[in-house]
Amino acid sequence: MSTFLGPLDNGQIPSHQQTRVGAFLASLHGALGRRLALGLPVNLRFGWETELHSQLHREAEIATLMMRATSWVADFELPGLWVAWEMAWLPKSVEGITDLRQGLLIDLASLAHAAHGSIRPAALVPPEADPKDAFVLALRRIEFENSRLIQAQILFLKGPELAPLREAVSFAVEQRHQQVRELWEAMLTSIGVQRKAKN
Amino acid sequence: MPFLSHGSHRIRYELDGPESGPAYVLVNGLTQYAELWRGYRDALVAKDFRVLTFDLLGQGESDKPRLFIDQNDQVSTLRALVDLLGKRPVFLAGISFGGLIALRYAIAHGDTLAGLVQMSSFAELSPQLLLLGNALRTGLILGGTSYLQDLLLPMNLSDEWLGPQLKNLDAIKRQGWLINDVYALQNLMESFLGFEGLTDRLNSIRLPTMILNGEFDFLTSRSLHDTLRAQIPDSALIIIPRAYHAFTLEKPALTADLLARFATDVMSQQWNGGGSIWIAPDEAGAEITLFPAEYDHLRAIPVRKVKS
Repeated sequence: MSTFLGPLDNGQIPSHQQTRVGAFLASLHGALGRRLALGLPVNLRFGWETELHSQLHREAEIATLMMRATSWVADFELPGLWVAWEMAWLPKSVEGITDLRQGLLIDLASLAHAAHGSIRPAALVPPEADPKDAFVLALRRIEFENSRLIQAQILFLKGPELAPLREAVSFAVEQRHQQVRELWEAMLTSIGVQRKAKN
Repeated sequence: MPFLSHGSHRIRYELDGPESGPAYVLVNGLTQYAELWRGYRDALVAKDFRVLTFDLLGQGESDKPRLFIDQNDQVSTLRALVDLLGKRPVFLAGISFGGLIALRYAIAHGDTLAGLVQMSSFAELSPQLLLLGNALRTGLILGGTSYLQDLLLPMNLSDEWLGPQLKNLDAIKRQGWLINDVYALQNLMESFLGFEGLTDRLNSIRLPTMILNGEFDFLTSRSLHDTLRAQIPDSALIIIPRAYHAFTLEKPALTADLLARFATDVMSQQWNGGGSIWIAPDEAGAEITLFPAEYDHLRAIPVRKVKS
C-alpha cells in the first residue's frame, strides 16, 4: 500500500480514487456548510459569527469545487459510504454541556476543527503529479484554505467564553478528531492508500 | 519505533548508543522532528554517548494536543524521558524553542543533569523576538506550514547552504511540511501566550553550561545569549562563525563535535565556564579561540570595550 494516491494514470490520479476522495470531502465540507447555514442567526451580533458567515461560504465553495474538479466514475459502494459519512456529521450533544445550543455550537466547532486540522488532502498528492491538474489543485487549495478556516474554531474553542468548560470542550474536540480521522483513513485504505497512524 | 506513555500522552522517542556511559538528550526546535538529529546521533554514538532524541508534544509522531499545549507538560515529559536513561551523566541540549524547554528543565530538575547546552536559545522575549514570533504565527495562519518554512529558511540559514539547495528546496521542505500539522504548530507557538521571562531564575542553574550562538543569528540575537551567559554562573558563550539561527542543520559535524568536547571537559573536570566568551573553529576538531578581551562581543564591527 502506498502513502500517496496513484499510481498515476497518464499523469492523473485514477478516477476511482478521485471519486472516493472527492465524495468524502464534498460530504464533510457540505455538511459543515449546511450546519453553519442553519446555525447562524439572520442578523449577526458577535464578531465570531462574522467569521462563521465567511466560513459558510468557504465550505460551500470547497464542496462545489470537489463536485466539479473530480473525475467521477460509477462506484457501487459509494451510496452506502455516503450515508455513513452523512450520519457521522450529524449534530450531537456534548458530554458535560447542559446548554443545548452551546453544546451544538461546540460540536459544530469541534467537527470543523477536525475537518480543517486532521485532514491533509494535499499530503496525498504524489510529487510527480501534474500540478496544473484540476483535482490536484483542488486538494492543494483545500489544505491551504484549512489553515485559515480553522482559525474561527481556534478562536471560539480556546476563547474566554469556554474557558470554564475546557475539559468538556477538549474532550468533544478529541472525539470529533478521532471520528473524522478514522473515517478518512478507512476511506483511504479502501482505495489502497495507507496513511501513518498518528495519535 | 518506541513510544513513551506519559499521562494521557504518547511521546515518540529513539534511544541509541551504548547501554552504559554518558548520555545526550537533544531537544527539537519548533518546526523540527527527531530524525533531523540523525547526524548527531551517529557522531555522538561513535564517541560512546547514549543519545536520546524525541518529538515534543505537538510535533512529528508524538501526540498532538488539539487545543492547548503547556510548556510545563513539555518539561514533565522530558523528565520522564531522562528517567529512561537511568543513573549516568546526562547532558541536555536544545535548540531555539527546544533550548527554552531545556532551560526550563534545568531550572526545575538541574540535579538530574551533568551539563546543559543552549543553542540559539533565550530566556526572555525581547521586543524584536516577540514581534518576529507574532509575525511568524501570522504567516502560519495565513499561509500554512509551507509559508512558515518559506520565511524560516532564508532567515535561519546562510547563502552558502541555501545556494546549492535552491533547486531542491521543495524536497527539503516536504518532510517538515508532511509531519507538522498547522493547528499543532500554532498550539506550540501559542504556548508563549502569557510567557514570563526566566532571567531572574537563571542563576539557580548551577550546571556547567555551554551557550552556542550563530554569528549572524538575528532571530535570537547575541544579547539574548549574553543574558544567559551573564546570569548562569558556570557558563561560556561560543560564537559559531558565519552561522545563523539554524546552525545545527547547517553545521552538524562542527556542532556535534562541540557537544562531545563540552561533555568530555565536564566529565574530566576540565570545564571552567566562568562567563567566558569564545569563537568556534570553522571545522570540527580545530581549536576554539578566546574572543579578544578588548573588543565588544555584542557588536558586529570591531568596537573596543568601554571600561567600566
